[in-house]
Amino acid sequence: MPGKRAFVAAGARAAVGLAGAVLAVAAVGSAALVQWPYIERDPVSSLVTPVPSEQVRVCPGPLLTLAEDSNQASAVTSVGRAFSLYAARDASGAEQLPPVATEIEAVDNSTSSSDGSPVVVSVPAEEKAAMSLLTGSQSQTAAVESLGGLAAASCTEATAEAWLVGGSTDIGHTSLVLLSNPTTVLATVDLAVYGETGLVDAPGANGILVQPGTQQVVSLAGLAPNVKSPVVHVLSHGGRVSASLEHSLIEGIEPAGVELTGPAGAPAQLQVIPGMLVAAQASSSGGNSADVGALPANVPSVRIFVPGPDAASVEVGITSEDGQASGDSLQVEIQPGVVTEVPLEAIATGNFVVRLDSDQPLVASAFSSTSAGETRDFAWFTSGGMLAETFLVSAADGPSPSLHLYNSDASDVEVTVTSDTGREVAATVTGGGSAVVPLSAATSYTVTARAGLVASVGYSGGGLLSSFTLSAMGPLATPITVYER
Amino acid sequence: MQPRVTAILVARNGALHLERTLEALRAQSRQPDVIITVDCGSTDDTGELLAAFGPTHLLVADAHLSFGQAITAAVRVCAPPESEHDLLWLLAQDSAPERDALAALLDELEIAPSVACAGPKVMEWDAPDYIREFGQSVTPYGAAVTLVESELDQAQHDGQSDVLAVSAVGMLVRHTVWDELGGFDPALHEADDALDFCIRVRLAGYRVSVVAAARVASAADGVAGPNGSFRSQLRRRRLRAARAAQLHRRLVYAPGWAVPLHWITLVPLAILRCIVQLLGKEPGAIPGEFSAAFGTAFGWMRIRNSRKRLASTKKLGWASIAGLRVPTAEVRRRRAMQRELSLTGLRSGRPEIRFLSGGGAWTVAGAGVLGIAVLAPLLGARTLTGGGLLPLEGTLPELWGSVAYGWRDAGLGFVGAADPFAAVLAVLGSLTFWDPSYSLVLLYFLAFPLAALGAWMAASRLTDRSGLRATAAVLWILAPTFLAALVTGRPAAILLHLLLPWLFFAGFAAARSWSASAASALLFAAIVACAPSLTPALLVGWVICLVVSGRSIMRFIGIPLPALALAAPLIWDQGRRGNWLALLADPGRPVPMKAVPDPQLLLGIPVGELGGWAPIIRDLGIPVDTMQIVLALLLAPLAVIALAGLFLPGIRSAGFSLLAAILGVATAVASNHLFLTSMGDQKVSVWTGSGLSLYWLGIVGAVIVALRRARGLALVPAAAASLALLVAVVPLAASGLLGTSPVAKGIDRTLPAFIAAEAQTDPRVGTLQLVPQRDGGILGTVVRGAGPTLNDQSTIHNTRSASSQNEAEFSTLAGNLVSQSGLDAAVGLADFGIRFALLRPAAGTSADLGVSEPATPEAAETARRAATALDGNAAFAFVGDTAFGQLWRTTATADAGGGAIPDETGQTVRLVSLILAAVVIGATVLLSIPTGASREAVRQANRDANRQAARANVRGKRRVRVRPTGRRAAARAESRPRSGRLPGARDEGHAGSVLGNAASSEAGDDRAVLESQENDNAR
Repeated sequence: MPGKRAFVAAGARAAVGLAGAVLAVAAVGSAALVQWPYIERDPVSSLVTPVPSEQVRVCPGPLLTLAEDSNQASAVTSVGRAFSLYAARDASGAEQLPPVATEIEAVDNSTSSSDGSPVVVSVPAEEKAAMSLLTGSQSQTAAVESLGGLAAASCTEATAEAWLVGGSTDIGHTSLVLLSNPTTVLATVDLAVYGETGLVDAPGANGILVQPGTQQVVSLAGLAPNVKSPVVHVLSHGGRVSASLEHSLIEGIEPAGVELTGPAGAPAQLQVIPGMLVAAQASSSGGNSADVGALPANVPSVRIFVPGPDAASVEVGITSEDGQASGDSLQVEIQPGVVTEVPLEAIATGNFVVRLDSDQPLVASAFSSTSAGETRDFAWFTSGGMLAETFLVSAADGPSPSLHLYNSDASDVEVTVTSDTGREVAATVTGGGSAVVPLSAATSYTVTARAGLVASVGYSGGGLLSSFTLSAMGPLATPITVYER
Repeated sequence: MQPRVTAILVARNGALHLERTLEALRAQSRQPDVIITVDCGSTDDTGELLAAFGPTHLLVADAHLSFGQAITAAVRVCAPPESEHDLLWLLAQDSAPERDALAALLDELEIAPSVACAGPKVMEWDAPDYIREFGQSVTPYGAAVTLVESELDQAQHDGQSDVLAVSAVGMLVRHTVWDELGGFDPALHEADDALDFCIRVRLAGYRVSVVAAARVASAADGVAGPNGSFRSQLRRRRLRAARAAQLHRRLVYAPGWAVPLHWITLVPLAILRCIVQLLGKEPGAIPGEFSAAFGTAFGWMRIRNSRKRLASTKKLGWASIAGLRVPTAEVRRRRAMQRELSLTGLRSGRPEIRFLSGGGAWTVAGAGVLGIAVLAPLLGARTLTGGGLLPLEGTLPELWGSVAYGWRDAGLGFVGAADPFAAVLAVLGSLTFWDPSYSLVLLYFLAFPLAALGAWMAASRLTDRSGLRATAAVLWILAPTFLAALVTGRPAAILLHLLLPWLFFAGFAAARSWSASAASALLFAAIVACAPSLTPALLVGWVICLVVSGRSIMRFIGIPLPALALAAPLIWDQGRRGNWLALLADPGRPVPMKAVPDPQLLLGIPVGELGGWAPIIRDLGIPVDTMQIVLALLLAPLAVIALAGLFLPGIRSAGFSLLAAILGVATAVASNHLFLTSMGDQKVSVWTGSGLSLYWLGIVGAVIVALRRARGLALVPAAAASLALLVAVVPLAASGLLGTSPVAKGIDRTLPAFIAAEAQTDPRVGTLQLVPQRDGGILGTVVRGAGPTLNDQSTIHNTRSASSQNEAEFSTLAGNLVSQSGLDAAVGLADFGIRFALLRPAAGTSADLGVSEPATPEAAETARRAATALDGNAAFAFVGDTAFGQLWRTTATADAGGGAIPDETGQTVRLVSLILAAVVIGATVLLSIPTGASREAVRQANRDANRQAARANVRGKRRVRVRPTGRRAAARAESRPRSGRLPGARDEGHAGSVLGNAASSEAGDDRAVLESQENDNAR
């Protein structure tokens, strides 16, 4: 019966086909819907802690002034000697170590023989596999006809990259970039100067050679004249350099302040400027020339630069450190590639923390000025990086130095500040808050806290104003993950 | 005086043929005077049959007695010869003499007293018109020759009388001579016993002759003379016996001084003959070759006895029989005929592929044009870079040197096993021996036409419709996994996609042909080398083939052997480490890629970003989920057609395709979850595309199976599905043109020219290569000489999860070099032989399609840090920015010692593994060369044809109309060699053969089944 056979065959075929289709659908379903486990091998890597190396800090050296001799436009002369203070301890901060100070040659300074040169402080590596602690600071109060005011600076590590946020080359302003090369390798430095109109075309800014063991001085006016708000990006190849900016102002014929500014914190979305001191202004503000930077000379401001390609939306939060004045917060839109000054007009006198929260990496510094009678001065306050658990502070000579601490973390931090003489001061930095610890001049301290604090040392009084931020240990010496394949 | 004939009949389990024999014996016109039957331990009713026949003596003997020994036993019970008119007639259970056979033989011996031994014309049992054997002789070198074999008897040989020897079947011999010579040589069990006896008869001064008038039918049961069956086991035994007999005779006949010479050559000759046996498609004979050689070599006593026996009766010199040998010219003529028959056997029974007339050439040409269009940006390239593409070693010795176990320049270098893929690369690179790396460029430009060719040929196994074959080719070259492998630079995956259809092509015929089976084995090895992750799926397929292969199981069982031989050192190495899973790791450089969700694998797309669609639709504002559905809809026609095949006849093909697809997708999903290697901080999963290639093979197969049933309109859905697929893969295919593919023209080197120049003088010069990673870590490796090569990549290195002491030291050095550190680097640099440091740009996310992501801030920071640290390191001097990154060189004076290859250990493993691989692969290559059907196969085919012709003849006489028993049997009987396939049998045949076995189950007759299977074995 062929009919019946065909029927049976078709039925069997349909059944087998259905079974196959079900199998296929089951396979598809299990591939698509079932969460199969993963079998993973972690990449082969090891966390390498670099062998501790010699710690080196460079102090910028005595304040310089451009040669009056117009024939020697690049020559500078020093005005007096700077006071330097160094301290070194082992990694735990318990034991004091003797730092070694040597001077490097200030090739542009014709009077370095009398006033001294930038000092390189070093402490040899410990046998133990941890970095020694080393700090240093210098201060100088100038009172000559071309220069007047207090300039304090910390001795900084030489780096391959630095952002100098500060200075001006407007009328009356002098800005010198001090490049010190403490290494044994020739450093080739490229400077990129950004102003309020963007990158300044400066042919001489590239390929500045800084011989090992020398300091080179570059006048910013020669590279970028008439820039009210410059930001200098220092990039060095070969040897590393320690860069600082000396900014001085003469109003009329009276010196109106000087400041030595170290590098600001590297571009990041969060910048914290601790210890911004807004001092009382004398009511009669002398010559009152209309502009320091883009602003009236006496208005505190924040200078912001966004190096990336996108505009940044920045929330500038100003909080009083001592809780006396209430905080302030403003939202600003910062265009990329051009330097912006944000005036903080509403700010009262006092100590403040300026916190910049941005959606783009930026660099920032704050400016404020003071005057007391005839004496006038100003200071730049740079943003700082997170410090380690134990760090050293050396407060060079100056009027009423104080340590400003900021805790960006939410929880409180107990801080112990121990002077060289053994005097201990305890303080509490509240979560998201700050603390100010008064220091004795010309004294070094060991600070024990929790890692992550930002700190600066400020001087204020008698119409003098200055500050330096404590720099975190360079990232070059932090442990690194090395992948093997 | 009246002659007295003693007929001796030896039987061993011969009830099947015995009846006819006894009948014939009873019907003799001249009855033997005495009949002695010897029952050699039969277990069937042979004994009863013999007893019922009523012989003069009925002996019962051991089962293992040879024919000669059984005769000797029988002779012992009969009366001693009184005169030379006492004759012995040797018969077996399956030797049915014709009525006048004995009378004719007697006449011969009576007429000529010098004739001591006469043999009948031995006819086929089933085909009485055909001569099975008529006289024997030897060549001038002593090989046995059957003078007339398997010929239609037209009385063409009836003139012959004097021959060198006759076969044992039906031999009539004078009892006196038998006693004088001591009968058959007991050392010769099966083969050549009669030949040797007759030669001794000749040398004793008597004559041997054949009697054409005496005809004895023989079934070659193996009682008298060798077994004539072609079943593989018996055939192997017969070949072994023949060889052993030949070697034995050689040592017995040789003059005394030559015996040691012959003895020495026994084994070398066996090895040489193995090569010949492989080429002759008789691999089953190889064990026999060796056992015969060794058996003869150590059978001192037997040879001595035989030599004594020969010497004691030898009266004439060897020159006396020289004229009876087959002359060399005749031997040559026979060989030529044999070759011709073999080639005929090769060509017959194979469906014509019609490559040119079927449009194959056009398909391949079209694919070539498409390939050039897709790869246009790479035109004129001499090397390629990007993804997993690296150059090969520059010279052939280096290229082949990297195939063996030994020193590997991966990482810091170690002694270990090579990936089997290195062997594939060595073969590939040898194709462009003047510049091995160029073979990869050729691979790219020939990938499309080669893929089309493979798919077209594979489709020819399933259908003979040109349109469908072309469809298969189109679907295969548009496979997303193939395009993804091309545009992400994965040479192993490309090769896999090219080889996979050929594995199907060869595997399909493996059941019937040794060369196809060996070719499958080689392809299997190459595929497993290219994609180890496919091994489990392929082994499952292999086991299924074994299960359904039936009698051709031997042709399947060896298929994984070459792969095993190639991978043996690697398996040993990884097994020693307990790292079994790592055997599945992809060979070559790990290529990081974005994770692919499992459901996307079902679309056949192994690369992230939906196969390049995601960046496009992001610009158009279409959500990714929508696009996934659109893609699924575009590929749905293929799935629907493929599933439809399950409901149509030919379900076995469809089922097998479905199985391949499921195995493929399972492999892909498993690969997606298996992260065995890493590149810096990125874990790298096994390439899912390998599994997807198999998945795609199953789908394309199912589509072809489904559509071949449809009559005229089959091409409409095929074209629609192809078009939809084309749309779906546009971003992949166009990624070269859009610039989203990482594959680009190379500039002849992978390291800066500065290092390349240095490597000219110091090939071991070390470069510390640093790549900042996304998480702020850094990848530090040492590369030697002019840079890494593809064949130096090692899965042992890539999958090793622990780092050695040496590697830890190296990591410490690298970590300190990219940091401000107090470490004195000079010592470490000298130890590792590092002369350069190359800081490459920070690693992006992956070598995937689409927009490359910029380096993370952490990576940029690490890059800065490393540059700063190296800049400030007095041990390094900055050289400059190169196309490959920033370059430093050490300031220390050159010290070549650090990077030198240490004195190698593992030479033994190297040698053993090389010999193993060479023997196995060499044998497989020899076997895969299509030289034609084996000699035995031709002989069998000939005999089958005779038998069938005879049967048809008988039937024709019986009935007026010829009615064949089965379609296939009839087809073979009518036209042999078969020139084409029967139209009606096409689909069933195809369907059945998918599973490896020639399925003749459609043919009704059992006998036809058996015959066709035997035939298939023969081919």
